Formats: sequence, structure tokens, C-alpha cells
Amino acid sequence: MSNADATVFIVDDDAGVLKALTRLVNANGYRTQSFTSPQEFLAHHDGALPGCAVFDVGMPGLDGLALQEALGAPDAQRPVIFITGKGDVPTSVRAMKAGAIDFLTKPVSDKDLMAAIARAVDRDGDTRQRRAELASIEARLAMLTPREREVLGYVVAGRLNKQIAGELGTVEKTIKVHRGRMMEKMGVRTVADLVRMAQKAGVPLPQG
Amino acid sequence: MTRFNGRIRVVVVRAVVLLGAVLLCSPLLVFNSSARADDAPRRVLVLHAYNYTFPATSAAADGARERLLHGSSQKIELDAEYLDLVRFSEPGHEQLVANFLRDRYAKRRPDVVLVISGEGLPFVLKHRDAFAPGVPVVFIGISREVYEASRPPPDVTGHLVDSESNFDQMLALAEWLQPDARRLFVIAGTGPTDRRWQTTARRVIDRRARKFETTYLFELSYNALLAEVSRIPSDAIVIALTVLRDAAGKSFVPAEVAATLAGISKAPVYYPYFSALGNGVVGGYNETFEAMGRAGADIVREILDGKDPATIPARTNPERGYRVDYRALQRWRLSDSNLPPGTVVINKPLNIWDEHRNAVLTAIAAFALQTLFVAALLIQRRRRQHVETLLTESEERMTFTAASVNVGLWQFNRKTNELWATEHCRALFGLREDVELTRDTILGAIYAEDRDAAAFALRKVVKADEAATQDVRVVRADGPVRWVRVQMRSHPSDGEVPHLFNGIFVDITEQKAAEAEAGLQRQEVAHLMRVSVLGELSGAIAHEINQPLTAILSNAQTALYLLAKDSPDLAEVRDALNDIVHEDNRAGEVIQRLRGLLKKGEKSFEAIDLNDLITSTLSLLRSELIARGISVETELDGSLPETFGDPVQLQQILLNLFMNAMDAMIATPAAERCIAVSTKSAPSGAVEVRVKDHGTGMRPDQQARVFEPFFTTKERGLGLGLAICTTILQAHGGKLNLVNDPAGGAVALLTLPASEMLIAAQ
Repeated sequence: MSNADATVFIVDDDAGVLKALTRLVNANGYRTQSFTSPQEFLAHHDGALPGCAVFDVGMPGLDGLALQEALGAPDAQRPVIFITGKGDVPTSVRAMKAGAIDFLTKPVSDKDLMAAIARAVDRDGDTRQRRAELASIEARLAMLTPREREVLGYVVAGRLNKQIAGELGTVEKTIKVHRGRMMEKMGVRTVADLVRMAQKAGVPLPQG
Repeated sequence: MTRFNGRIRVVVVRAVVLLGAVLLCSPLLVFNSSARADDAPRRVLVLHAYNYTFPATSAAADGARERLLHGSSQKIELDAEYLDLVRFSEPGHEQLVANFLRDRYAKRRPDVVLVISGEGLPFVLKHRDAFAPGVPVVFIGISREVYEASRPPPDVTGHLVDSESNFDQMLALAEWLQPDARRLFVIAGTGPTDRRWQTTARRVIDRRARKFETTYLFELSYNALLAEVSRIPSDAIVIALTVLRDAAGKSFVPAEVAATLAGISKAPVYYPYFSALGNGVVGGYNETFEAMGRAGADIVREILDGKDPATIPARTNPERGYRVDYRALQRWRLSDSNLPPGTVVINKPLNIWDEHRNAVLTAIAAFALQTLFVAALLIQRRRRQHVETLLTESEERMTFTAASVNVGLWQFNRKTNELWATEHCRALFGLREDVELTRDTILGAIYAEDRDAAAFALRKVVKADEAATQDVRVVRADGPVRWVRVQMRSHPSDGEVPHLFNGIFVDITEQKAAEAEAGLQRQEVAHLMRVSVLGELSGAIAHEINQPLTAILSNAQTALYLLAKDSPDLAEVRDALNDIVHEDNRAGEVIQRLRGLLKKGEKSFEAIDLNDLITSTLSLLRSELIARGISVETELDGSLPETFGDPVQLQQILLNLFMNAMDAMIATPAAERCIAVSTKSAPSGAVEVRVKDHGTGMRPDQQARVFEPFFTTKERGLGLGLAICTTILQAHGGKLNLVNDPAGGAVALLTLPASEMLIAAQ
């Protein structure tokens, strides 16, 4: 993924700083969206756009950390880079725990900032890719009948058709048919692929 | 009896004494006197026993005539005859004279016969019926012995000479004047009168207590007498009596004899009669012959006035006394201090008193008046001098006191342009001794810039009739600048513009120095407080500088990055560079503000837009406000008038108020942390700044003490913030109120005079 596909959201109440940072990030090939207040950012933010966010910590009304929380759970949210004039330890620890990519002190060197943005964009790309895969697996899983879903569980658990028939109180032949349809719906040919897919989607294995 | 009038008394006496024998005459006499009183002149016949060559009788006649003709309402005619009985002692002479008188006065009856000298009495008694039958007789100078011996009828009366008494007193006089004399010589002639004197002398001398070794030079011829007298030692007393005739039968004028004897005697010579006085004798106890004449004349007049001569007893003259000649005293070296009191001294060299008594009295009176006047003037002058002295002393005390506390006193008259001032003023204004103290010289010593102010203050006094004070600087050649306070007051004058001013000059250099010192200390403290506040804000302030630095760095790096490209976007580079310049300025401003607050320098006084100052102060606090989650609402009046003051100090006040507001909201829920700042122009023309927080407000006990130094409600506060604010505001003519807002929180209300007000006040 190139820089041009990522958008960097910059929020700073200081117009001068906001403009300079935006200019720097733009010059490094990223798209940017800049906001002078957290409220404005929240109102216009498009979570679908790939990229990261650069937040000033000390802003009137809603500071950067609060804004981070407003973006959602750490593993789902857009990666955030904090810049601060103070750089006090408690604030940075809090930010990092909340999933911040980096906590930079003003004045920020371009190398540090761009490296952080690159990492954030990467992480955002990864996150988005993983989320896309999961979405396709879940879409396939959604097509399975309940019986096929049961069979999938036993297959991933490594049971033989005969064992599955015994568990489910049916004949081996019926299980074979379910297994074939399930494999087809899931788009896999080998059990190994199926197992990897099921792991990604976090499909619970049957007991025993 | 004495109450009866004359006529009744006459009748009574007549009835008792004269019986019927004279009954026929008395009504006539009474009738005569009363009838004659109305028309014809009364006649007095004056008979001289001697002739006119006798000074004594002449003098007596003169005295009588004087008294009779003058000072009487009655018209009196005098006839006079010289009997010359002593010199013409042959037998037929008396009858000759008597006949002459009878013939002469037969048709010219006298009303009273006045006889001068007792020698004439026997003749008159013998011949009265011949020339003046029934006419009352008054005599002058008869000795008591002769009078009593002659046993005269009742209508014969007169003036007695008491020879015995006179002699006695004369001897007493001699004793006074010659207290040491032991010998006494008594001289008398051989005539009838002389012999009477001999008898009198012997009797008196025998009777006296003091005994002298007495020699009687009687019965001597004149020449023998002279020889005897010339041998008398000088320490003796010589009494010359009359020598009308000597042993040789030769007649003399006694006064002349006495004078001769006095001339040859080595011892003082006394003489009983007045006639020899002034001719060498010391004097005696006697009466003047004029006085004798007057005494007789008085009796005559009593009779002419209708008084019965029988009721008038013969009497002595009250005018008798000691009479001495000063030249004789001198001659015999007798001291006049030994004279008995009341002694008449003749021939005493006249002093001015005697000569010009009235003039002297007038002069003395005038002199006394003048003296009194002068004395009064002197007293007044002394009082005035006393008062002047008191005044001078008072003024000296006042001047001294004034000078000792470095105060000069002055008074100025605007009409005459006259200035009175104490000498100390000279020292205050550094004027030399030879420079006159005037309005101009004093004004000349004042700094040119301060002169107008001084004149302005004076005008103010003229206008408002009130006191004024003005501090001026004085240029002094001998040292540094001195400060003099001019205090003045006008004297109220009726309806007019006051023109008299007085006041004082006070040297307040030291006070000014102390004020300056205190001012410096206040500035020092204020500065420390600012440093302390800025210390608290250091993080926030660093942030304020960090912001532009951040922008600058980013812009610079962007520019570098862009320029490193093959085809650099120069427009973007230019924008970046422009922003760098802008941000750099922004950082500079922050530093500038900080420097202002941190510097210690002199106070400045300039026009200030409070809105700008508030904005600037808030921007300094921006980071801190953000950090504390405090929002600021401003409502600044765009038409706010300018005020005058020191921007740094006023900013310090604002900073203090904002910080207090921020500190007050530590416990306030985040959403409510808000400071409302507003400005507006008050109706009075002043400028108001209102800072309201949403904190807990002040407790009543705190509210009373918030302006006290070292009172604080903060955990780490010094308690000096508001105290310093108050001090600064006082210097700016402003004030600060702190109240609780009923809706919650505290409100600080800052009032400053607008510049127009300050200009108007000046």
C-alpha cells in the first residue's frame, strides 16, 4: 500500500502548528485532513478511510486522550500518534496503554513523525486486511446450515467422518455429503486451509 | 449771744454797761451811723504821733490807707495830721496841736479817729473832746502796758503791740541762731518808750529759763553806746531796743540807731521792730508796720460798719512772726537752717522760684504734664516694646521651630507682588545671601517643569479660596536636587478675589527619598510576585513558545524536503517560509511579554487599551487554562476608553485575578470550569474589568481579609498577590472589589479611571 492511499487526520487547536504539520505530512505524500478542534474532527471523521491520526494532547474542550477513547476500542480504532508540548510521563503512559502508536514531544522532528506515521499507516493497513479476511470468512460461515456448521467444528477438531456420524447419530454417508457442501461453501479444498480459516474467525471447537 | 446781729448786741451792751447816762447819745450814734451810711463819705482822721520821717509810722499809715481806701464798699475820706509829739516835747506844744485840730475839724467831724503809734494815746484821751467829741478812737502800735495803764474809755480801742511777747520771741530767735552764745547785751535809750523797753527787757530776761551773762547798756550817751557796742565779743547776743533819746537827751530815730549799732558790732544785733530790718540787724519777732496799719484799719472798718467800739477789745496783730535779714545772717555766719519754722527771710538772693513763681509753677506744671505725658508715652512705648519683644520672640521661636524642622514661612501679596519670607526659605531654595527673596527669585530656583504646576496650584487657591499643596523640585548649585513642598492658603477677603496668601515651604527631599525607596521596595516585591507567578506558569509559558517552535521546525523541514525533490514545489516552499516568519514573530511576542513581566525597570505611564491587555494576558495563560481544563468567556466592550498606567503592573493585576480565578476552580467539576471576563465603561467614566469564576467563592471570614498581606487561602500561596494589586491600583487611582456571586463563584471588579478622567483631574 502506498502513502497516497493513506489519509492522515491531524487535530491541533494551534492553527500554526496544524498548518505546519499538515504541510509536512502532505509533502511526504500522504493525504491529510486537518481539524482545529476535536469536536470538528469527530463530526467529519470517516473511519473507512485508511490512514492514521495525529492528535495534540493539550486542546481545549476535549484533549487528545479523550479523543482517542472516542474513536473506539484499541484494536479496532485508527492508529493515533500523540504530540505534546509537555511530554509528561503519566500522560504518555496512558496514551500508549490506550493503543497509541507514538507519543512525540514538540517540536517534532520530521523523521520521528514520518516514521511514526508510516508505522501507523502499516498497522492500519494490517488491521484493515485482517478485518477484511475475517469479514469474508464470516460471510462464508454465514452461508452454512446449522448441521454443516456442526460438521465444520468436528472436521476442524480432526474427527473422522465415521466418528462425526456417531456423534451426530447419523450415518457416515450423510456426513460425507454435509462435509462436501461445507467445504465448498467455505471455499477450501483441504482440511488444513479450513482449520486456518476457522482459527482466524475464532470458531469455537466442539467439546471433548 | 454771738448769734445776735450787731444792732441787738449794741442795745444789750448799752443797757447793761452804760446805763442811762449815755442813753441820749447812743440812739443818735446808732442813728448817725445808719443814716450816714447811705449818702455822705465817711471820714477817718489819721493822727501820726510822729512825723512822716519816721519810716515806721509812714509804713503803718500806708498799710492803713491801703486797707481803708481799697477793698471797701463804703466811700471813705482820709484826713491826716502829724502830731510829732516826741520831737516837740516842750509844754505848750500839745495844746497848740489840740487847738489846731479843734479849729480845723470843727466843721469837718471825723467818724473815726485813727491814731498811729501808741505815743499819741495820752494826747487823744486828753484832747479828744476838743476836736472829735464822742468819736470812736482806734490806735495802732500801742504797747499793752501803756494801753492798760491809761485805762481808756470803751470807745477807744485798737491794735496792741505786745512788747513782752515780742522781746521774748526775739530772744528765742537769738538762742536758736546762736545756741552757743553765753553773753547777752541789751541796749535801750532813755526816752519814755525806751524806758518801757528797759523794764520789759529786764522782766523777760529774768523770767527766762536760760540764763545769760547779761549786760544792760542803758542810760548811755550815744557815743558811749557806740564805743561799748564795738567792744562786744563776736560770740555774744546783742539786742538793740529803741533809742529815741540818749543819756545826753539827744533824740534819735531808733531804727537808724539800730542800723548803726549793727554796723559796728562784731556780735549779731537783734532789733524788735521791722523798721531796721534790711539795714544790718539780724531781725526779731515782729510785724510789719504795714500789717499794723492794716490791723488798725480793720478795726476802723468794723466801727464804720456800725459795730459798737465798746465791744471791740484791743488786740494784737495775728500777722506777727520771725523776720530776719539773710545778709545779716551771712555777715555773722549764722545758719539759716537754725531758724524756727515760718521765719520770713528777707534779702535772700532770689532764686528763680521766688522771682518767677507763676512762670515757674506753670513751667513746673507744664513740665510735670510733659513728664506725665512722656512717662505715659514711655510706659506705652515700654508696653509696645514688650509686646514687640514678645512678638519678636514669638516670631523668632516660630521661625526657629520652622527652620529646625526644615520649614520656611512666607506670605505673598498678589496686589503689590510683595513677598515676606523667613531666612530659612533662602536655604531651602539655595539662594545666596545677596539675592533678594522675591516671588521671581524663588520661582527661578524651581525646576522649569515644576514652575507651571506651582503657578497652577496658586491659581487654584485664587479660584477656590482653599488650601493647596504642590511639590516642586529645586535646582541648587551646591548639591543634588531637593524637593520642596509648597503649601498655601489664601486669606478670605470680602467679595474680592483673594490677594493675600500665606503658606510654608517644607523640605521633603528625605520624604521623597523614603517614598522612592518604598516605591522601589514595592516594585521589588511586585516584581518578585510576577516572577513567582511566571514560575508557576513556566510550563504553560514554555508551551506557548513551543507551539511556534513546533510550527517553525515542521515548516522548515517541509521546505528542505520539498527542495530536495527533483522538481520542488517552490510555491509551497515559499508558503512554508512565510509561515516560519510568522511563527517566529509569534514566539518573539511571547518572549517579549515575558520579558516585560520579568523586568524590574522603572514604572512607565502610557495609554493602555485594557481589552488588548486582557487578551494578551489570557494568551499567556492559554496553555495553563487548557491544562486545567478551564474555558474562558470574554465579553470585551469594543468602545472601551483608554486608560493610563503601567502596562506591566496592570497586566500583573490581571494575571493575579485570572490565576486566582483558576485556583478557585480546582474542585469545580470539569464541565463547569469557566472564567468570564468582561469589560465595560462605567457610568462615571471609569473603566471596569469583571472577572468571574465558578469556584467555591469566599467564606465571610475570608472576604474581610483577602486584601491583607500574607493572607491566603491557597496551600502554597504567599498571600501577597491582592495586597500588591491594591498598592498598584492605588498608584493608578483605581480600586478592586471582591464579592461573591449569588449564583456561585467569586467576582473581582477592577475599576480604573479612564484617561479622560485623569486629564480632567489634572
